[in-house]
Amino acid sequence: MLQLLRAGARAWARPAGCRGLNALAEEAAPQAAKPESVAGAGPQAPVLRRCELPGPASRRPVQAWVESLRGYEQERVGLAELHPEVFSTAPRLDILHQVAIWQRNFKRISYAKTKTRAEVRGGGRKPWPQKGSGRSRQGSIRSPIWRGGGIAHGPRGPTSYYYMLPMKVRVQGLKVALTVKLAQDDLHVVDSLELPTSDPQYLTELARYRRWGDSVLLVDLAYEDMPQNVVAATSSLKTFNLIPAVGLNVYSMLKHQTLVLTLQTVAFLEKKLLWHDSRYAPLYPFRLPYRDFP
Amino acid sequence: MAALSASGVTRRGLTWIVLGAPRREFWSRLRKETKPVVAETVEEVKKEPILVCPPLRSRTYIPPEDLQSRVESCVKEIFGSSIPSNWQDVSLEDGHLKFGLLARLADDLGHAVPNSRLHQMCRVRDVLDFYNVPIHDRSKFDELIAGNLPPNLKITWDY
Repeated sequence: MLQLLRAGARAWARPAGCRGLNALAEEAAPQAAKPESVAGAGPQAPVLRRCELPGPASRRPVQAWVESLRGYEQERVGLAELHPEVFSTAPRLDILHQVAIWQRNFKRISYAKTKTRAEVRGGGRKPWPQKGSGRSRQGSIRSPIWRGGGIAHGPRGPTSYYYMLPMKVRVQGLKVALTVKLAQDDLHVVDSLELPTSDPQYLTELARYRRWGDSVLLVDLAYEDMPQNVVAATSSLKTFNLIPAVGLNVYSMLKHQTLVLTLQTVAFLEKKLLWHDSRYAPLYPFRLPYRDFP
Repeated sequence: MAALSASGVTRRGLTWIVLGAPRREFWSRLRKETKPVVAETVEEVKKEPILVCPPLRSRTYIPPEDLQSRVESCVKEIFGSSIPSNWQDVSLEDGHLKFGLLARLADDLGHAVPNSRLHQMCRVRDVLDFYNVPIHDRSKFDELIAGNLPPNLKITWDY
């Protein structure tokens, strides 16, 4: 705040032409004291992340650059190791399809309903006698062959399309989706989602400069820790969406072209998704409390 | 303001209108004049120098002539002089060394190893092979048009 006022006062005193360079020099001087938070502070220690959970001995962890959103050019701040069972599992496209279709359908309730010949008002009396009138024999004016009659095999009442895929299939779907994103160069790992401004244009220009794509899904760990700038920037953008780690799903990953995870999110996902590989069958549903549930 | 003055007449009497409304208008006008000047200059000074987007880079990469020597010098800088003569077989297991080497090469040559191929870079030889491959930013149609076509084949790309 004080720095802003000082900068404002200095800008008042100086002529307008040389404002840019002088402001850079002035801001570099007081900010050089802050270690590691400014891009121009010199070579910093790389952010390296090792995989905590032991993987299979035969497979090496996959790796990804750790990037930063604080500056346009901060694309290689560190190197993160990612667990091979989560980020380079077999590319099961059939499981991806199953899970994506399940996500679309299990919440669906179709409210379409039509009236049958019994429900349409009227049609209790035989319109004309069986024989003698020369017309075809009819029993009621609301039969399905009549205009204004009931529908024979129409949709009947609210129908639910609810079904559940097994938990392990859904977990495998998430793993395959993460694998596919990494294999197609659409996954980016970021140290944290802090932005220098809350201007949405900064985020769009950053994505354009780094060639991320038209739609970006940003994933942070929890609602409480999301920085204000990202929340403000993404709330006004339609194609840049911010979700907590528990909200990650296959449909969103396929819908957005790029996926951006923080390091904490990666650790969280690995822990949660790998637990299912070596767990016992539940004696009671997992939504009830367990002592060792991750 | 007309509505306010009308309600003033009905509810409180003439003295309130005479004293209250003009005084408020006078002070609010002064306040409006002073505020925006300070805010504008502060925002301008903060935004201009830091957040200018650099120009878009093209994805084309042509390996330079002295690629081998450049990579060798980078390896010597990062690993120190304690490497054997077969510098191409040096392993990149250590995170610090791998990051240092790959980041230095990416800044040098303007072309970085993508995430999907980072785990394949185990030795310096793999890095060298990666950087020997040129990358073109052209679409398939442009490549076809630019390449050798038989005389009876024409490609027109007009909508």
